[in-house]
Amino acid sequence: MRSPRDFRDGADPIVRRAIDELRRLPRVEDDAVAAVVSAAATARVLPPADEPITPARERGRGRLLIGGGLVAAAAIAGFLIRGSMSSPPEPVRTAATTSITPAALSAERTAVPIVEQFVFKAPTARHVSVIGDFNRWDASVAPMSRSADGELWSVSIPIVPGRHMYAFMVDDSLLVLDPRAPKSRDPDLGAEGSVRIVGRP
Amino acid sequence: MTALSPSRPALSSLLLPHPAQTAGLDAKAISRAKLGDIGAFTEIVQAYYARCLRFARAMLVEPDDAEDMVQEAFVRLYRALPRYEERQRFESWLFQILGNCCRTANTVAQRNAARLVTDDALLERIPAETRSDDDALSAWGDSVRHALAEVPEHNREIFLLHYVEGFSYDEIERMTGVRQSALKMRVKRASDFLRARLSRETP
Repeated sequence: MRSPRDFRDGADPIVRRAIDELRRLPRVEDDAVAAVVSAAATARVLPPADEPITPARERGRGRLLIGGGLVAAAAIAGFLIRGSMSSPPEPVRTAATTSITPAALSAERTAVPIVEQFVFKAPTARHVSVIGDFNRWDASVAPMSRSADGELWSVSIPIVPGRHMYAFMVDDSLLVLDPRAPKSRDPDLGAEGSVRIVGRP
Repeated sequence: MTALSPSRPALSSLLLPHPAQTAGLDAKAISRAKLGDIGAFTEIVQAYYARCLRFARAMLVEPDDAEDMVQEAFVRLYRALPRYEERQRFESWLFQILGNCCRTANTVAQRNAARLVTDDALLERIPAETRSDDDALSAWGDSVRHALAEVPEHNREIFLLHYVEGFSYDEIERMTGVRQSALKMRVKRASDFLRARLSRETP
């Protein structure tokens, strides 16, 4: 570890006193570290990005917002293009740590993932991901690629049939709804998300 | 937003004295954690948890969510560890992830608050701010945290990274991509605001 550094020397005395106050470390609950390690270990055993995506039931802790004026600079006007699988479908794999009923498991085994394409217009964005209940709202799972003209971002991912909620993560900091998709309120999060129906309802 | 000002942690929950430096961490722990060693990852969490919690509480519009944000940051970090390149300083990377988590959470919280303040019934239920006049130390701590909460987020984050977490401007430039001249200006603005607000309350 590096040695402690203190940059307060140039600060005003009142500000230095405030900095001292802010430097107090909080008390850490006894089980806090164990809870974090457990959550991280659980997350790591879930299927990685290149595997068929888990169903909506495995909803994560994602948080949504409506894009609106927050990304006006990005001039966002996304739209969707449905894709279909060109290669033989693979069976859906379930997460080892997920608790699901036998009936649900049976239904899931028979579900054939369908490749869905997401397209989003954000010419000024540096990177964009699609996040949703199908990838536990994890922005690292489905990064989108920029089109040659730099205007559009797209990604195609296999998703099991059903009703899914999603959004776009722009530059790791903005969650934006798809302006071309219907919106619905997420029952877990109380926030709105875009809705994609995959396969036949 | 001011109608739903965040509740700040009581001073009684802030125990350890300054300076709040990270406990010694075996440099090999990061290499072992990269390979999936959960014991090594536990060492990392133990070494950084308190600092991350301090940063998240100061950054978040809803400080009560700080534990959740710290957990989310560590989960993201653990997932991304196999891709971690050791030429980047680990501590910078961790706080970069945590900063992203906090900014995203703040955006959601601010939008929710904007919706909620239209609810008159809810406004009436918001308790008046209370302060113990006979506890000068606690009052100062509360004043600092309330004043900091009013500093714009992009200034507050840089102020915290530099003065509280001890990152140099050079390091913060690499973390954020913002030029050092702009970073110094943000810290100056945050400092000026705090001085103006707190000088009225300094005996």
